[in-house]
Amino acid sequence: MTTERPVRVLLAILGLDQHEAGAFAVATLLRDAGMEVLYLGRFATPEIVVDAALEEDADIIGLSCHSWEYLYYLDELFELLHGREISTPVVVGGSVIGRDDENEIHAKGVAATFGPSSDANEIARQIRSLAEARGA
Amino acid sequence: MRIDAPTEVVQKALHDAGWTFLFAPRFHASTRHAVGPRKELGARTAFNLLGPLTNPARPESQVVGVPKPELTEFVARCLQRLGTKRAWVVHGGGLDELTLSHSLPPGAYAIAALHRIARRRGFDPKQLRGSTILLPAYCEDCSYQIHMPYELRMRLALDAVEFAATEMPRFHAFLEDTYYISDGGLNSIEEMALGFVEIREIVRALIRRGIDVDSFAPRIAILVNCRMDLFEEVAKIRATRRIFARMMREEFGAKDPRSWSCAITAHTSGLSLTMAQPINNVARGAVQGLALALAGVQAVEISCFDEAYRTPSHDSHMVSLRTQQIVQLEAGADRVADPLGGSYLVESLTDELEHRIVAMVAEIESLGTLEQVCDSGWFRRLFQQAMTRRAKAIQDGSETQVGVNAFKIPEDEDQLLRDHSESKIAPCRERIDEIRQFKQDRDAGAVAEHFARVREAGAASGINLIEPIADALEADLTQGEIAGALRLGVGEAYDPLRQMEPPVG
Repeated sequence: MTTERPVRVLLAILGLDQHEAGAFAVATLLRDAGMEVLYLGRFATPEIVVDAALEEDADIIGLSCHSWEYLYYLDELFELLHGREISTPVVVGGSVIGRDDENEIHAKGVAATFGPSSDANEIARQIRSLAEARGA
Repeated sequence: MRIDAPTEVVQKALHDAGWTFLFAPRFHASTRHAVGPRKELGARTAFNLLGPLTNPARPESQVVGVPKPELTEFVARCLQRLGTKRAWVVHGGGLDELTLSHSLPPGAYAIAALHRIARRRGFDPKQLRGSTILLPAYCEDCSYQIHMPYELRMRLALDAVEFAATEMPRFHAFLEDTYYISDGGLNSIEEMALGFVEIREIVRALIRRGIDVDSFAPRIAILVNCRMDLFEEVAKIRATRRIFARMMREEFGAKDPRSWSCAITAHTSGLSLTMAQPINNVARGAVQGLALALAGVQAVEISCFDEAYRTPSHDSHMVSLRTQQIVQLEAGADRVADPLGGSYLVESLTDELEHRIVAMVAEIESLGTLEQVCDSGWFRRLFQQAMTRRAKAIQDGSETQVGVNAFKIPEDEDQLLRDHSESKIAPCRERIDEIRQFKQDRDAGAVAEHFARVREAGAASGINLIEPIADALEADLTQGEIAGALRLGVGEAYDPLRQMEPPVG
C-alpha cells in the first residue's frame, strides 16, 4: 500500500435478506485485524453499494448473504462496476454459498468467498492481500 | 383413533358407542381400487364427490360435505335421484378446517384480510383461529424491519388486538415473538426480559384505551426460542409462566383464570445449527424438541437440519415433523405435565431465571418510556453486542459447538448430506408477472380512493386502522401500498428504500 490509511472494507447485505449476525461477526474480526469497516447495513441494492464504494473510496466490497437473493443481484452489481470502470474487488461471505455457487460466482468476477467454517485469520489475511494487490 | 380398523372393531364400536367409522379403502368394494391412481394423480378428481355418493352402506339419511358452495345443490340432486330420503349437503367455507399462523409483521394486514375473506365466504369471523405476531418495539432493530416510526408500529399492534378482541375472539392476535429478537445471540434472560417489556407496554396501552384486560388476555401467547442448554430452556419457560401469571393477576387485575396462563409455542434456534456435519442438526433438533415437550409448550416447530445453509427443503421439514412425532408418540415426553418439577436443579434454575428476568425488565423500564429506549438505539446495541459476543464465543471455543470448534473433520470428508445442500428452490418469476397483471387489472378509481382513505386514517388519531386496511385490501391494494399510504399519513416517505412509487399521485 502506498498510503498509511488502514484497509477500508464496505460491508453490505443485498435485497430483502435481513440476517445480520454474519456481517457483524465479520465486521468485528476485520476491525480487530486493524481494518476500517463501513457497514452499509441491510436493504442495499447494487446501485447503493456501488455509489457507497465510490464515495467512501472502499478497498474492498464485502457482501454478506444468508439467502439466495445475492446470486441474482451479482450480475447487476458487476454490470454497474464495469460500466463505471470500478475495479474494487468484491468478496462474498455467507452460510448459503454451496460449492457449485462458489464456482459460479467466481466466474462472474467475485474475488473470494467465505463460509461459516472459514478461519478468522484467513479471512483477514485474504482481504488484506486483495486490498494491497489493488493498491500496488 | 384408528381409522382403518378391521370389521370386528368397527362392529364393536357401533354396538358399544352407537357410531363407527368405515374407512373407504377397506370397505368400499369399488372405489378402493381408485386409491392408488388417485394418490399418483395427486389432484382432485370426481372421486372426491363420488365417495359419499356411492356409500356402499346405502344410508337413507346422510350428511355430505362438499368443497365448493356451488356443489351443494348438484350433490343434493344426485342424492335425490339415488333415492336418499333425507340429506344435508354442507359447505364450511374452507376456513373451519385450518388455522393460519402468519409471521410477517405487522399482523394487522393478515387480521384484516382474514376477516374479509371469512365474511365474503359466509364464514363467521368469530370462529377464525390462528395467530399473528406482534413486534412493535423491536422489529426495526432486528430481522423484521418494516420502516415505520414507533408510534405507527405500536398503533397497528394495538388496533389489531383491539379489533380481534371483539371481531375475532378465538384468534391469537397478541402473539409476542421472542424468537426472532433472540436468535441473533441474546441469552434466555435477555430474550424473556425484552418479551415482557413489550407485552407489558401493550397491555398497559390497551387498558388505557378502556379495553377490559380479560377480553384479550386469554388469547395472549408467546413464541419463544429454544437453544441447546436443555435445563435452562425448560427453566426459562417455567419462569415465564410464573412471571406472566403474577403480572396479569396482581399488576393488571385480570380476574379470568384463563388470563393468567399464556399459550407458549416455540421454534428451535436456527443459530444452534451448523453447516459443518449437517446431520448433527437432526440430533440437535431432537434434544430441543425434548426440552420443549418437558417444558409443556402448546406447540413446537423444530428448525430444519439444512436451515443453517439453505432455505429448508421438503425433506428436512419432514425430518423435523417426524422428530416431533417421535418425541411425543414414542418417547411420550408430553404424557405428564411438568415432569421435571421438583428436581432441585430445575427448580433452582427456574427461581434464578425468574429473578433475573424480572430484574432486567425493571432495569429497562427505568431507562425511560419504551419509545425513548427504542429510539435511543439501546436495543439495537444490545442485539449487535449479542451477535458479536456469540460469534466470539464460538471462535474462542468458550461455547462448544460440535463439528465447528470441537471434533472437526476435514471439509472434503464432510460429505454426508452435502448434495442435499446444493439443491435449490428456484425463484418463482411467474409471480412477478402475476402481480404486475393484478395491478393492471384492478379498478384504478377504487385504488385511488382507498389509498387516500388509508392515508387519512393514518394521519388522524382515534380511528382503528383495521377497518380502512381491510377495505383497502378488498379494493385490491397491496400490503406494500397500504404500508406506504400509512407512512405518508404520518409524514414519512412512501418507500424509505426509494424503490417504489405510490400507485396514485
